[in-house]
Amino acid sequence: MTNAFSSFTQTASIVLVTLIISACGSSHHPAATDLDLSKPYPSEAGGTLISAMTAEPSGLISMIAGESASSAISSNIFNSLLKYDKNLELEGDLVKSWEISSDQKTITFRLKPCMKWADGKPLTSADALFTWQAVTDDKTASPYASDFQLVKKAETPDPLTFTVTYAQAYAPALDSWAGLQILPKHLLQGQDLHTTSFARNPVGSHYYKLDRWTHGENLKLSRNPNSVLGQAKIDQLITRIIPDNSAQFLELMADNIDYMGLDPIKYSRIIPSRPALQQKLALYKELGNSYTYMGFNLKHKPFDDVRVRRAINYAIDKQEIIDGVYLGLGINIASPYKPGTRWSNPALTPYPYDPAKARQLLKEAGFSDTDGDGILERDGKPFAFEIITNQNKEREKSAVLIQRRLKDIGIDVKIRAIEWASFISRFIKTGDFDVVVLGWGLGLDPDQFNIWHSSQQAPGQFNFIGYHNPTVDQLLEQGRLELNPDKRMKIYHEFARVLLEDSPIVYLSAGYGLTAIHKRVKGIDDPAPPAGIGHNSQDWYIPQPLRRNEISQ
Amino acid sequence: MNWPLFKKALSNPLALAGFIIILLIFVLAMLAPVIAPYDPNEINVKAILLGPSMQHWMGTDGLGRDVLSRMLHGGRISLLVGLVAVGISTLIGILLGAVAGFYRGWVDVFIMRLVDVMLSIPSFFLILAVIAFLTPSIINIMIVIGLTSWMGVTRLVRAEFLSLREREYVMASRTLGARDYRLIFKHLLPNSLTPIIVSAVLGVAGAVLMESGLSFLGLGVQAPQASWGNILTDGKEYIQFAWWLSLFPGLAILITVLGYNLLGEGLRDALDPRSGHLK
Amino acid sequence: MLKYIIKRVLWMIPLLVGISLVSFLIMHLAPGDITSNESAFNPKASEESRQKLREMYNLDKPVIVQYGLWLKRMATLDFGKSFASHQKPVFWQTTDKDGNVTKGLIQEALPITLMINLLGLAITLLLAIPLGIIAARKYLGWQDRAITLFNFIGFSIPGFWLSLLLMYWLGVVNNWFPISGLHSLNYDSMDNWSKVKDSLSHLFLPVIIPSITGLAGITLFVKNGMLDVLHQDYITTARAKGLNEHKVIYTHALRNALLPLITIIGLSIPGLIGGSVIAETIFAIPGMGKLFYDAVLMRDFPVVMGILTIGSALTLLGNLLADLMYAWADPRVRRGVVKG
Repeated sequence: MTNAFSSFTQTASIVLVTLIISACGSSHHPAATDLDLSKPYPSEAGGTLISAMTAEPSGLISMIAGESASSAISSNIFNSLLKYDKNLELEGDLVKSWEISSDQKTITFRLKPCMKWADGKPLTSADALFTWQAVTDDKTASPYASDFQLVKKAETPDPLTFTVTYAQAYAPALDSWAGLQILPKHLLQGQDLHTTSFARNPVGSHYYKLDRWTHGENLKLSRNPNSVLGQAKIDQLITRIIPDNSAQFLELMADNIDYMGLDPIKYSRIIPSRPALQQKLALYKELGNSYTYMGFNLKHKPFDDVRVRRAINYAIDKQEIIDGVYLGLGINIASPYKPGTRWSNPALTPYPYDPAKARQLLKEAGFSDTDGDGILERDGKPFAFEIITNQNKEREKSAVLIQRRLKDIGIDVKIRAIEWASFISRFIKTGDFDVVVLGWGLGLDPDQFNIWHSSQQAPGQFNFIGYHNPTVDQLLEQGRLELNPDKRMKIYHEFARVLLEDSPIVYLSAGYGLTAIHKRVKGIDDPAPPAGIGHNSQDWYIPQPLRRNEISQ
Repeated sequence: MNWPLFKKALSNPLALAGFIIILLIFVLAMLAPVIAPYDPNEINVKAILLGPSMQHWMGTDGLGRDVLSRMLHGGRISLLVGLVAVGISTLIGILLGAVAGFYRGWVDVFIMRLVDVMLSIPSFFLILAVIAFLTPSIINIMIVIGLTSWMGVTRLVRAEFLSLREREYVMASRTLGARDYRLIFKHLLPNSLTPIIVSAVLGVAGAVLMESGLSFLGLGVQAPQASWGNILTDGKEYIQFAWWLSLFPGLAILITVLGYNLLGEGLRDALDPRSGHLK
Repeated sequence: MLKYIIKRVLWMIPLLVGISLVSFLIMHLAPGDITSNESAFNPKASEESRQKLREMYNLDKPVIVQYGLWLKRMATLDFGKSFASHQKPVFWQTTDKDGNVTKGLIQEALPITLMINLLGLAITLLLAIPLGIIAARKYLGWQDRAITLFNFIGFSIPGFWLSLLLMYWLGVVNNWFPISGLHSLNYDSMDNWSKVKDSLSHLFLPVIIPSITGLAGITLFVKNGMLDVLHQDYITTARAKGLNEHKVIYTHALRNALLPLITIIGLSIPGLIGGSVIAETIFAIPGMGKLFYDAVLMRDFPVVMGILTIGSALTLLGNLLADLMYAWADPRVRRGVVKG
């Protein structure tokens, strides 16, 4: 070794080692093992809750931003007129009471007094009116305008009263007002909602305000001293942007985030098998907010034949899908509503797994295996089709299980997973598909007009499977006009019954919502009420001894 | 094909190791349907995420499918993607490079500008953009990787042709009135073959890695078809728990790519006139 | 010389227009646009509003018209605003009438990617040059074989696999490095030295892993370059003259062997602005790779076009620079160019 070379390598090694040493040891947490996480601690204010999301919001004005990342954050910043309580009944958020006129066309909202925005300015009915005008404005082009465009007249007789009048009774109205976040008129009047800096710097009225948004890295929310509903316990909410789920889980394991949504495998296999994780993480299970289904393109033969649809329904083993895809953490549903709620028809039972019945129905429909190759034919054509779905692991797995079961009764199924934007525009909008595996939300308002009514079949609308049933049409129209909850319930129970008989879709499962939360976060309702564990997140608290100490104010 | 060259390459122990690896993987992949203990797509919801055992040498995945069988069949797919993609890029590269190197003039300028344009967009961007638009299927992936990796071969072939065409025997043949295509196919191309083979061997390595990268982004080989890339991706969330889902495909990709790289570099070393350094 | 440079630079303009046109057309071949996102499947969201959005972004006009509009804006170096990120400017920040500054997307992502790539390049060179020299001097010996093997293993590992393994081992099992992200949450309140340490520790894994991958190529290059040069006549002369060995290697051989390296570096300039989308996704780094990938999936045309244009421009510049540097560094070429 020559001198110059050895001095060169020496320098290089010193530089490298210095870099490494200086970089090491900069993370410091109190060891989780020497804290007693199971002691009961009294409720107190303070602390920081750190969560993660995979994608960043595009903006925080929810009437424009369409994605869930945006509403996840903005729901901490803004209030609506109404909200849902722990049992999924409507209650006032900004309003203290509301009345419906006798002709069922006018709703009068009475706002709570002395409300303020985070910047101290008063919050009055003028803000509600402004918000309604904004969401129905053509220039705003809000995707959610349609419900509010049904309001013929909106007035503010006094600063604490906001009345809306519809052309005809509209039952989903109250639900729509529970979803509209009220914006401050004094800050947004005259601004173009699409370009205003308010979207990255909002001022709201709810428990938290936005402190800082470091694009691409995190969003920091802190308590809003002027919050209209009183003070939340936890001082700061930080949401880190971590696009990869494996990285998120590693962060959870390393105690860098407190809260993470889980898939069934992590929930029932991984965490329970690691004592270190079980010790510091609490697992929560709640009714999910969506269901997965297999939808037939009713304009393509042979799916126009109800016997064929029912046959396929009998041929699929739903329990196997729940066990295989959700590890048992899901519910076999028979109607498009959350089980246990008023709208879900308790008299309906899902199609059981009955391949014999499936074969019989197919035989009646004219299918038989004439050439002995294991695949059924009708009029010389083999029964084969393609299932398309988007790139969602759970849907892909469900499709694989369906494929296997249908092969058992002689149907040849291929599967294709397609990137979302292509999926929507090239296949769904054009109606160019046989069968899809997708999901719908389990809505809180029972109105499903947009999905099932025969008038909603244009490209871009939601009845893309082409369902047309006059009975259902009528029920859906009636459901929108009936404001009495009991009468409404009967309408939708009947709707679900007809839908089940017709089987335009096969309900696959409604998965549970699974979450892991660090045990330092106390005050969580377990078992979860119908509204989920998040319903009282303002009452969650982190006792002083359990807080992280390096996050400064 | 220069056999003494090949033998010389194999005298390098690393290149020899590479060659053996390639052969082994190839044989295993070919024999997959015969030696796989289970149907790679056979789902068993009672056997989800089991570790390696006597019944399942490499454990099972999230749907209870046998990982060993999926690895064997997946190997076929990953190798197929690699070989066909490289085949496509090599063919295009030979075509364009030969034309550019032989005819020169504005054809040459045009092709080289095209190469510059293609090189100016980082290839992963290109592949990503195109695959995001086309529905990911095995064929599309092969075509896209092939269509975005021909630039190196083109430059290589062109350089070879440029130098070869000045050789005396070529000039002599031309004066004697030999037809162009005869020159190209009988003289120039066979002598350029060795660097092309080196490039192709190294290209397979790159394509296999590329497929695993695309699977990570969800744009690789689609379910239920197994490929090493998508087995690895499916397992990435459970690395600490279901280590077998990550270890086996990860190692398989590593060893295969390593094999191709070692052989390719060994061939290139042997090809090099600098091998006079041996003395 | 100057004429040559001017000619090259002028050539860049039609080339860039050509590249941008092709990119624009390819992008519009893809089905869907920004309105085909999450709200596309929310039953509460109506098709009319999506149509209005399309009109607002000029997506209903013919492709050539859209391209013309884009080109016109580009002539004033206005890269436009992102469809997906609530009208954040694509390239550079804008200040609205109230003095609120909104930073540009590329303005935020590019420095991050550049820093990671430059650090990575530095580490790769720092390691590759000595390794290459050793391999050349001990050619065909066990050091050479070992270095080659080590390099190739690094080259052959799937990057995201290695990343996750190291994140687990170094970040979870041993709390030595942060797992993901660019900064700690309390970064703003740190003093300058702590800030530097914090950034370095977050960048350690994302920089090291691609360096290991890139090491093989450069080491080989240095090795071959050295081998080339070490057997040239002038080296034998220097040795015959009695010059001591390390002067031979460092003063004469290395300098000439490294010349081609300059070309390589020039050619890797376009790569410097292209972040690895896989590494950025895994390590939660908001760089150019992720920006481009997300923009493609969301059909955020202004961002896609902005990145492609900058990428192409930088590549062409990089090529020019590499050619010039090589010409300047190699006296043989320099003389030829000056004369010609």
